[in-house]
Amino acid sequence: MVIYDDIMYWLVFIFAESHPYSDWIRGILGGLVIGAVFGGALVMVYLERKFLGDIQSRIGPNRVGGRYGVLQLIADAIKLFTKEDIIPANADKWLFIGAPIVALTSGFLMVAVLPFDYLLINGSYYAVNVTRMDISILYLEAVSGLAVFAIFMAGWGSGSKYSMLGGFRNIAKMIGYEIPLGVSIISVAIMAQSLDIVEIVEAQDFLWNIMIHPLAFIVFGICLVADVGRIPFDQTESEEEIIAGWATEYSGMRWGLAFFAEYLHAVVGSFMVALIFLGGWNGLPIVGNLYIPGIFWLIIKTIMVIMFFIWTRGALPRYRIDQVVDLGWKCLLPLSLLCLVWSTIIGLVFG
Amino acid sequence: MTHENTQITSPPSPSEILLHLGPQHPLQPGPFLLDLKIEGETIREAELKIGYIHKGMEKVFEDRTYIQIMPLTDRICYLASNANNDVYCRAVEELLGIEPTPRAKYLRVITNELNRIQSHLLGIGEYTTDVGFLTMFIYMVRERESIVSLLEAITGSRLNHNYARFGGVANDLPPNYKSMALKTLGEVGKLVKSHDEMMSSDSIYLKRTKGVGVLTDKVASELGVAGPPLRATGVEYDLRRIEPYLVYDDLDFKVITQQDGDVFSRVKVRLLEIQESIYIIEQCLDQMPSGPYKQHVTPYITRPKVGEVYTRIEDPRGELAMYLVSDGSNKPYRFRIRGPAFATAQALPPLLIGTYMADVAAIAASMDSCTSEVDR
Repeated sequence: MVIYDDIMYWLVFIFAESHPYSDWIRGILGGLVIGAVFGGALVMVYLERKFLGDIQSRIGPNRVGGRYGVLQLIADAIKLFTKEDIIPANADKWLFIGAPIVALTSGFLMVAVLPFDYLLINGSYYAVNVTRMDISILYLEAVSGLAVFAIFMAGWGSGSKYSMLGGFRNIAKMIGYEIPLGVSIISVAIMAQSLDIVEIVEAQDFLWNIMIHPLAFIVFGICLVADVGRIPFDQTESEEEIIAGWATEYSGMRWGLAFFAEYLHAVVGSFMVALIFLGGWNGLPIVGNLYIPGIFWLIIKTIMVIMFFIWTRGALPRYRIDQVVDLGWKCLLPLSLLCLVWSTIIGLVFG
Repeated sequence: MTHENTQITSPPSPSEILLHLGPQHPLQPGPFLLDLKIEGETIREAELKIGYIHKGMEKVFEDRTYIQIMPLTDRICYLASNANNDVYCRAVEELLGIEPTPRAKYLRVITNELNRIQSHLLGIGEYTTDVGFLTMFIYMVRERESIVSLLEAITGSRLNHNYARFGGVANDLPPNYKSMALKTLGEVGKLVKSHDEMMSSDSIYLKRTKGVGVLTDKVASELGVAGPPLRATGVEYDLRRIEPYLVYDDLDFKVITQQDGDVFSRVKVRLLEIQESIYIIEQCLDQMPSGPYKQHVTPYITRPKVGEVYTRIEDPRGELAMYLVSDGSNKPYRFRIRGPAFATAQALPPLLIGTYMADVAAIAASMDSCTSEVDR
């Protein structure tokens, strides 16, 4: 683990000392982080196919790249790249082309503020992230909302009734879940007395937020599943009702990008759960004096959240769209307000 | 809610969309066109148009000799091929004035009930994908595979069995069939029971299915709907009980009914009927007499006397009937099939009005209509 510390030391030192090459290094770090999250999304796709296969008594990919099909994703990517790129005659061309780009951009923008570790260097603490913001939680919320526009762009721009229904459903769903999502985050931020995600994680060094705010965790988790649009909240692309929803007219790599953006959102969302509720890089005290880097804890927790996502997909049927909106307004919103009251009380008594 | 007012007559208003669901759509078991006039997500009017897969089977049958028709009846609906064989075979037997041997009767009941189980399993499986429950689909298909293997062991094929013969069946049970069948059926029964519990205890599933697409017993009877959709409305109508054919009057079984007539009840009836069919097969395997499995002499050319016959049977989907007119030649003069799926399909559009888009999938799949049989 000495090498890890050295690398982090070097990176963060250059940041902190406003080195002349600081911007370059920051760019390289950004590239690395984007690559890492990109890889994470790929790992999630692979894990999902294997783990869901296990749930559904199938094998999953098992041909390309040996017994475990590890190269299946590369084969799929080659297939998607070489497929004909079709833009329907009815489509609004620029919206149609722009939608996957916006979706992917919003995913990558979210990565910018994700902290991966917190290091003590020369007597002061530095977070390992591309950009440190005072309002990083609000930024994450705002940027993740862009994906909703991407889906509506795709739905409207495709010029197909099925796509449009998918887009409409996404807007209706978004209105239902974005408010409880925001309120549940705010109730956590109140406890940490900061909107900075690094400080929220640091406030959990003794007790994780899942223990103090179990209700907020549940509300946030449900809303996040709705946010990334996975079963039971995948009404926007439910194939039995509206073919593929907003993605009906997409083919080839555009389709690949749009779906990759969904997985990217799922991975970043899992990071957010791990950071905000599961203590981030704070390890379990049972390990004792053994030094384990914080990023290791963070990745373990993120994979656990991802596994939970995959499990829900295997275990649950899909809600109807009006039931999602009902759930959002009539159940999750009051619950999230209750979280707000709870954290205010805790803050007043212990804070 | 009658059948007449389910035609789309006026063009959609500015707040409405006319959506063509079909002829090719992931929801559908086969091609048909469901025109929906929707406002937002709510369905205002629905119209079903069929005929995309019309094969002209009845006319084709009139140009074939009686024994040539037998393998073609499989193709009326591949999920009920054994029931189709059986009803055709009984019609011709009635014209010829012969009876199947006692052992053949039991063999036909066994294959019929196995056929019912596999049809119900696939029907429920397709339906669960339509409510977004992909895992359950794969479980159901996995269970169906073992049932299809049991059928294959008897008939020699997995899908189109062509098993019944005039006065008997094509071949006898393979050796050690009873122990194999009892083991497999026991396992499938247990698994289906656990799947039933899993589905009935899932709150999302209950929300999607309870009180959705309610078919009343009056409308169902008027439209000629039979089978699980009718029994789900509380009507105890089962040809195996009302008009016992083969050896059903010697067997002990319950007619499964549910009271609500909604999507949940229709699927529940099928799930419980699987258990009941397993019980019937177990009895048949115990009671089956030894003896010949087909008539000693089967005429090479079948020439029934002049006359007509109407036979019906409890198909997995409802009441399947065949009407044959013989003019004394080796080909039927007139052939008519009364399929259960046709009646089920015409009950579908009125159920859709006022529901949501997502319910279309659930309701249509819970009726378990087979497009191939609707169009014939």
